[in-house]
Amino acid sequence: MAIDKEIQYGFMPGCSLSSYNPDVVIQTVAYLREALPGFSAVLKCCGKPTRDLGQYELFRERFEGLLTDIRDVKIEEMIFACPNCKAVFEKESQVKSHSLWEILPLIGLPEEARGKAKGSDMVFTIHDSCSARGDKAAQEGIRWILTELGYKYVESECSREKTRCCGYGGMVNPVNPELTRKVMQRRVETLADYPVVTYCATCRSTLLKAKRSAWHILDLIWGPVVYAKDEPPADVLEVPENVWHNRFKTRRGIAEGCQ
Amino acid sequence: MNLAYERVSVMNTVISSETVTLNTKKIVEQCMGLESPFCKSRCPMHTDVKEYVARIAEKDYEGAVKVIREKLFLPGTLGRICAHPCEEACRREREFGQAISIAALKRFAAERADDESLWDVAVGEDTGKHVAVIGAGPAGAQAAIDLRKAGHAVTIYEKEEKAGGMLRVGIPKYRLPRDVVDYEYRYLDKLGISLKTKVKVGTDIAFEELVRQYDAVLVAIGAQKGNVVKIPGHAAKGVYSALDFLKEVNLTETISGKAGKVVVIGGGDVAMDCARSALRVGAKSVYQASLESLAELPASKEELDQAVGEGVDCHFGWGPVEIIEENGNVKAVRLQKIKSVFDENGCFHPQYGEETALVEADMVIMATGQVVEDVTGGALVQIGGGRYQTNSKTLATAMEKVFVAGDAAGGKIVVEAMALGRKAAISIDRYLKGEDLEEDRDFEQEWSYESRLDVPLPEGCRDLPRLHNNMRPVKERVCDFAAVDEGFTEEQAVEEASRCLKCECRLCLKECIMMEECGKCPKEIFEPVLAGQAIDMNLSYSCNDCGNCTIVCPHELPIRETFMESRKDFVRANGGDAPLAGHRPVKIHQTLGFYSMFTTKVCMSGKSVSGELCISRCGVSADLCDGGENDGN
Ligand SMILES: Cc1cc2nc3c(=O)[nH]c(=O)nc-3n(C[C@H](O)[C@H](O)[C@H](O)COP(=O)(O)OP(=O)(O)OC[C@H]3O[C@@H](n4cnc5c(N)ncnc54)[C@H](O)[C@@H]3O)c2cc1C
Ligand code: SF4
Ligand code: SF4
Repeated sequence: MAIDKEIQYGFMPGCSLSSYNPDVVIQTVAYLREALPGFSAVLKCCGKPTRDLGQYELFRERFEGLLTDIRDVKIEEMIFACPNCKAVFEKESQVKSHSLWEILPLIGLPEEARGKAKGSDMVFTIHDSCSARGDKAAQEGIRWILTELGYKYVESECSREKTRCCGYGGMVNPVNPELTRKVMQRRVETLADYPVVTYCATCRSTLLKAKRSAWHILDLIWGPVVYAKDEPPADVLEVPENVWHNRFKTRRGIAEGCQ
Repeated sequence: MNLAYERVSVMNTVISSETVTLNTKKIVEQCMGLESPFCKSRCPMHTDVKEYVARIAEKDYEGAVKVIREKLFLPGTLGRICAHPCEEACRREREFGQAISIAALKRFAAERADDESLWDVAVGEDTGKHVAVIGAGPAGAQAAIDLRKAGHAVTIYEKEEKAGGMLRVGIPKYRLPRDVVDYEYRYLDKLGISLKTKVKVGTDIAFEELVRQYDAVLVAIGAQKGNVVKIPGHAAKGVYSALDFLKEVNLTETISGKAGKVVVIGGGDVAMDCARSALRVGAKSVYQASLESLAELPASKEELDQAVGEGVDCHFGWGPVEIIEENGNVKAVRLQKIKSVFDENGCFHPQYGEETALVEADMVIMATGQVVEDVTGGALVQIGGGRYQTNSKTLATAMEKVFVAGDAAGGKIVVEAMALGRKAAISIDRYLKGEDLEEDRDFEQEWSYESRLDVPLPEGCRDLPRLHNNMRPVKERVCDFAAVDEGFTEEQAVEEASRCLKCECRLCLKECIMMEECGKCPKEIFEPVLAGQAIDMNLSYSCNDCGNCTIVCPHELPIRETFMESRKDFVRANGGDAPLAGHRPVKIHQTLGFYSMFTTKVCMSGKSVSGELCISRCGVSADLCDGGENDGN
């Protein structure tokens, strides 16, 4: 694809990323707004959990509300940070959808981020989300970003379309945590033995639960350069208060940013 | 796994949607998870080869024998002489021409661990019915075993002194030591099957008499009469049918006629048995001639190689036209070159060329087929080769209560004879219970078939060579009747067994921990749904929605879709609400996720709300502007 100057793009960070790290969301919004001629942002849940429980009618109702929001802010094509949101839109709507990881290689990384980690001794491996197993552009984008930042990485055997679930898919954890633990463990065992980069905040949180250090790709773009000895950011998604506090902070940040 | 339900009653009121039903149908029809490996589907008795070979690889020989004995009462016998159709079908044969030595491994396990104290001798409750079986070859014996196990009384009538059929009078001892047959046949006795030997039906007791006395009669008399080609001189002294020759050699280890220069006519395994047996009773030379060319030869490569190795002089593409006698004794055989054996339709129709050859001979053995000799006094219709006409599915005949099995019904090898014996036993059991012979019967499982398994080779699979058995030196072995094949050493057996590819699909289960815990494969998991039950809610809500199953499935079956889709059915049955107790926090979380305090929408640049171009970075926040009422419930 190429960026179309005539199109009003809309960015949706998704629940888990905004609950995890408001700063990176706010900075991403600011950056996209600079880079894209027509730009809007939407902060709302895509409704996937409702749909996953099987409450399809309720999901449709909620999702229609979201589609109305999108129309309200004139969005023509969507950009998603979360692979799950993107998958939901692709299945449930006609809205043209892109992943942020496909857009960033087109508009480039911010000047100050390019090559910033050239001196780092960190070597990562990549966890592709299972919801992105068919999204080649996103998979390529993540690898491009890492290289552009200056990080080295090693591919895991179960990656890209052969990736494995982190354990949190399908809303299994709330009803069958024992199974989630096993799936989580297996994911960790099938990843090359390096700290992990994810592009889903929930996947990151799951990997941390399985005692694996993991960074979200946006942590690396907007945050400090990471070295082999560094500890990953804490698993804030563990604590509900953090979640809602951060979500509110994200909302405020986006709203303020546009004034 | 058992998850907490909010309302247990949900499970009873679920109605599967059309999508779920159609997907389920597709999965149950196409899933290869229960499909037999190539070896097992090709074995007419469906011996669980993969399983016992795996046990051998783990050095669990007792376990291996147990698996074999679930299907075969003759592990040591078949381990030595089975024509092993399974090996032709083996994946390693198809891919690399290096089949697993399945039969030889069976022999190894039997030698190591077959112990009669472990045999399953349980029989069903007495039914009060009594079945007569004519013939104690593999077919009659297998049928007798199955019928006895079903609780019927069984009496076998056998014309010879001992049971075994061709295992005793046909197959040479150097391939099958008789102590093995004796030991394994003890099973019949242990089950309480009555065996009347030296009773020839048709001579010592009339067939009609058996029909009158018994509730059912099974004819399992084999094809015991050797065919002699009626060329000039065929009645000369010194001309034998293969079966007459082999029977005498097998029972006495000698031959009454003069075995100087021997000519064997025929190109099958029986011809090779005659040729090699002739060497062992002192023939000076053995000249074998077959109509077929080497490429068309019916004999197995193993048998041919061993015969040639032992010094049999083989000539392919020659047909006998005359036996020359002197004073009533065989003097020579005239052979004529063959141009072709089969016509364009593949039918046997030999065409002779010009060239002839005269071969001196003291003895001529005709290994040119075996025929069934009638014991019923014409009561049953006979077709090609004397075989009895039967319903090929059930082996029932036109005569009430009379069934046929084994070579007499068209079998060709021991394991087929056994499968036919089992088939007849199933029919007889149904007949005795007054049940329909065909209803709800899985005929495919009663004979060999082509496996529908269609899977990629396992990752990292390499071509590893087949291990062959240890043969005694030729010089030594042609002088006696002791076994020529010494079998595998333990080390060899384990190495050979370890080559097995454990053919199966179940690729999705290697990906999915949940399904692995819940069943053998999607077919098994979804089958109850076709029968009208709902998908197990526990499974449905334990699907990670990751899609790995479909990615690896050769048929790309919609497994995840079906689990996820079925959740809608549970919700519908639960009045629109998610049914599991664990879902409560998710519902709260979702309500908040749509609440205005945590949502926003802003147009930051580009077109204005009215559709005109808005000033860059104008910062219209619809959410903030309209007072923030954006609670998507
Ligand atoms: C020489 C030779 C070598 C063979 N080698 C092999 C081999 O290596 N591998 C393999 O798989 N197959 C081999 N076969 C084929 C195999 O032996 C037969 O397919 C199998 O034995 C058939 O079993 P059956 O029970 O139908 O008949 P049989 O084994 O022929 O048994 C029939 C029984 O009925 C008895 N009987 C016959 N008539 C009467 C009567 N009127 N009254 C009472 N009893 C009677 C006979 O005495 C005999 O015991 C070979 C066959 C021959 C001839
Ligand atoms: S490789 Fe093993 S399981 Fe597969 S067909 Fe051969 S013996 Fe059977
Ligand atoms: S991958 Fe699974 S669903 Fe597909 S055919 Fe094999 S066992 Fe069946």
